[in-house]
Amino acid sequence: MIWVWIALAPILGGLVYGGERVLRARMQRRLGPPFLQPFYDMFKLLDKRTLIVHAPHALLAVAHFFALWFSVAAIFLGWNLLYIVFLHLIAQMLLILAGYSVRSAYSHLGANRELLMLVAYEPILILVAVGLYLVSGSFEITGMIQKGNYLAQLPLLFAALLMIVPIKVKKSPFDVGEAHQEIVGGVEIEYSGVFYEFLYMSRFLEYLFIYSFVFIFGGESVWLGAVLVAGVFLLVNLVDNATARVRTPQMIKIIYMAAMPLAVLNLVWILL
Amino acid sequence: MLLTLILLPIATAFLILYSSTRIQYLLSAAVLGVGSFLSVSLFMSTERVSFHLPFLLNAMIIAADLVLLIYFLVQGKKFNSPKVIVLAAAQLLLYIYAEYAAPSGRSAEIVVDELSRFMFLIINIVGGIIVLYSVRYMEDESVEPYKKRHFIAAMLLFLSVMNAIVCANSLLLFFFLFEMTTLASYQLIAFRNDEISRANALRALWMNQIGGVVILAGTLVAALVLDTVMLDTLLQHSGGMLLFSVALLSMAALVKGASIPFDGWLLGAMVAPTPVSAMLHSATMVKIAPYLILKLAPVLGTTLLGGVLSITGALVFVAAAYLALSRSIFKEILGYSTVALLGLMMALAAIGTKESMMLSMVLMLFHALSKALLFLAAGVLEKQYHLKSIEEMSALVHRAPKTVGFIVLGFVSLTLPPFGLFMGKLFAITSVASLLRERPLLLIVLVSMIIGSTLLVLLYFKVSSALLSNPSDTVRTEKERIPQGFSIPLVLLSLLILFAAVGFIVIQHDVLLALFTLPLLFVFALPSMIRSMEHYDRTAIYHCGEKESFDAALVYYEPSVRIKGMIYWGFGILFVAVAFVGVLS
Amino acid sequence: MKFFIPFRKKSPWILHYNAGSCNGCDIEILAALGPKFDLERFGVINTGNPKQSDIFLVTGPVTYRSRERLVELYSQIPEPKVVIAVGSCTTTGGVFRGMYNVEDGIDRYIPVDVYVPGCASTPQLIIDAIVKALDILEAKSKEIEKPFKLFGAIETIGNKLSRLNMAKKVELHEKN
Repeated sequence: MIWVWIALAPILGGLVYGGERVLRARMQRRLGPPFLQPFYDMFKLLDKRTLIVHAPHALLAVAHFFALWFSVAAIFLGWNLLYIVFLHLIAQMLLILAGYSVRSAYSHLGANRELLMLVAYEPILILVAVGLYLVSGSFEITGMIQKGNYLAQLPLLFAALLMIVPIKVKKSPFDVGEAHQEIVGGVEIEYSGVFYEFLYMSRFLEYLFIYSFVFIFGGESVWLGAVLVAGVFLLVNLVDNATARVRTPQMIKIIYMAAMPLAVLNLVWILL
Repeated sequence: MLLTLILLPIATAFLILYSSTRIQYLLSAAVLGVGSFLSVSLFMSTERVSFHLPFLLNAMIIAADLVLLIYFLVQGKKFNSPKVIVLAAAQLLLYIYAEYAAPSGRSAEIVVDELSRFMFLIINIVGGIIVLYSVRYMEDESVEPYKKRHFIAAMLLFLSVMNAIVCANSLLLFFFLFEMTTLASYQLIAFRNDEISRANALRALWMNQIGGVVILAGTLVAALVLDTVMLDTLLQHSGGMLLFSVALLSMAALVKGASIPFDGWLLGAMVAPTPVSAMLHSATMVKIAPYLILKLAPVLGTTLLGGVLSITGALVFVAAAYLALSRSIFKEILGYSTVALLGLMMALAAIGTKESMMLSMVLMLFHALSKALLFLAAGVLEKQYHLKSIEEMSALVHRAPKTVGFIVLGFVSLTLPPFGLFMGKLFAITSVASLLRERPLLLIVLVSMIIGSTLLVLLYFKVSSALLSNPSDTVRTEKERIPQGFSIPLVLLSLLILFAAVGFIVIQHDVLLALFTLPLLFVFALPSMIRSMEHYDRTAIYHCGEKESFDAALVYYEPSVRIKGMIYWGFGILFVAVAFVGVLS
Repeated sequence: MKFFIPFRKKSPWILHYNAGSCNGCDIEILAALGPKFDLERFGVINTGNPKQSDIFLVTGPVTYRSRERLVELYSQIPEPKVVIAVGSCTTTGGVFRGMYNVEDGIDRYIPVDVYVPGCASTPQLIIDAIVKALDILEAKSKEIEKPFKLFGAIETIGNKLSRLNMAKKVELHEKN
């Protein structure tokens, strides 16, 4: 059964993304695209003629997608959370190398920003894993979701996680990595057709990846987890519609000045 | 076997002084072969070897040490450096007093334990490869032939010094060999004999002499209060002054490991020929720092001193990685990242649990392999393409795909799974996390470890942004030829990195870990898929429709003068605090 | 594949290029994309990137400085693609017709599928044009479409079809 879910992961993420586009449109009081729009986009991209810059660049996007899928699969299987964070790191690095591998200013800027985003969210993700470990006594997700009530013990850590969700799903105020108005999508700029499709789908997987971190905070109660995910989903979209983009150094500063102390403070609190 | 390890390089060094290039290759290859065979077979055997040095040899060592210190004095006078003179004089006095105060040896001067065997592996295999490389490197150097031979001979001599230092049990013998490494470092940095290298060599000399002074101070404390100068008997003692002596010794480690505020000498050392940077300043000599802490770790354990040391190391890890972000010379970037990783190794060693010490050793091995690879590749860039700054390396992959491949492999092996260094960090995080409940202070180590690792990722891949940018593949690439003298050591190191990574995963008996290799296998499969990409249209990159292409600039993060000052003062205070904590506890 | 062709209609992504327009039409295009007229209900995304676009929305009479960029952007859009000329200037040159530094409309350089009149055009017209363009997009094949003033044809290097330097060739032709 779990394998079916893993196989369907991109589709699941696509549904989330489609729902999000509708939700955002409704927040702006407009009709918005159909719910299944992401899949229409995917089918259309398959039908386009594909232009590439050079072969390794195109293939690294495919590698990025599969590595990301792999890390999402690892979450579904309930493996070691720390390993999952680093599997995700590999996926991100493949994307960044792809961005650097073409001689394109926008692609390089985008990859630079991806790197800086990594510097911002990676420590928080690891601290989240460590915090959950300290409370539950296990790094395995299967062990973590057998204990309850992380929110009571790790509220600040949850707040820190909340601050990095917009970075991962590329939403304002932390959507510097994509920033269509300034760097035209960053690393994805040189992709088209089939290969862009892989990047488009990996965006769906990013949703699953980061929201499953939120879900784990629900602990043994699936309902609490679901409520948390839904709440964070609404909140992130609300903030996205209400705020402007900050610059990359400001983003780093905000994360290191606000989210990091929160996370560390929470760890100190449960240790003492 | 031990004697062969120490004497073989010396003998070869003398032979090399009188041989042609071809024979030099043969001899250095032989040293590599024999050295690695011996060190591997020593590593396999588990017995603890220890023996006394004959009286005559001891007397000779004392004489040599005196000569060495006087040589430093003369050098200080010659180049008019008061710091060198003062420190050399201080060492001379302390040394004579220490020899006088030292109780006659009751235990052996030479002890080969597990740690020494492990160090032999690093020294002989990595060091041997670097010596092999330096033969080819010297061919392109524009100096007199005899100087070239002297250079290779010096590298070989240094190998035997390193082999000796990791099994020295007597602190005085350790001091002598420590000073020998300082001498080697001084001489080899000044090899090119221009103004900058002279100045940097002198700086390396006086900074390392601080290490010598604290070693002697530690020895004196041990000799006067605890009545021994042997490391193994020293560590069996307990009581207040023991920790003071240990604190002094570990300060020497901080100096040798170029921890901030002593990072200046290692950075300056990058003006030396690249094999020197590879051998002394990243792969072997600076490894004395974590080695020394590992030796002392059994008494550090849960003491406050151990805590302070591990926090210092961890903070150095973050700070050095941060400072490296402002550098543009490739070797300096590597140098700073060496400082950072040495800090991490010392931090792990100072935690003092069995697991963390093992991880520290693992990091040492993998760091030596990866950094040697990176430095040797940097040497190829320097000799074949005359490139030093990363600013000049834009689109290098188009001109030198193979060298860039080695460099990127080096970067990846330092930061990403499934390579050993990453695995070391991963296990370090889990092991520190499991200690947090008993020792909350380690939270600082944990957080700095996490932040430092991501900063290193930023550092390395920021550099690779310059190397990698490649035009469309309809533009023809030239074939790159790396001379065999360069390519053989590079390939050897790459293979070692891969095998060591695989081996390390296999001995963990963790199926999940093996899965880390899957994404990588896919990357390795990429070249075979490139052929199937022929039928896609090629296009130019998007630059807003402009005709002329433009490149993105490299990014640097320069800390402000105030922050830099704060970092240096902070670490200076921490360095002194180590001694204070030693006195107090 | 036949299965995918209907989906071309459902997700047209647009690239908007200003070839020397007075910004009147551009404002109308942005209005059409904004919440009031909400082009996104057709699945439209303003990508700003030729490589991921299907519809090329051009405004302006094509000044000399913008010619190469126009052709370069056009050649970087993967087929199937349609071009919409928005506004009078873009279709005929409009008030700029016959000026020394302006070409009279974009169809001297690239094939145009839909012309939108108006100075400035209105969002309603633009939406109509896009809906019209969707039918054309669905009927198109995936054959390579060339700019008119691309002289020397498309190159292949090895087996690879190269679309490099198309714009440069325009300039070369002018010189000769």
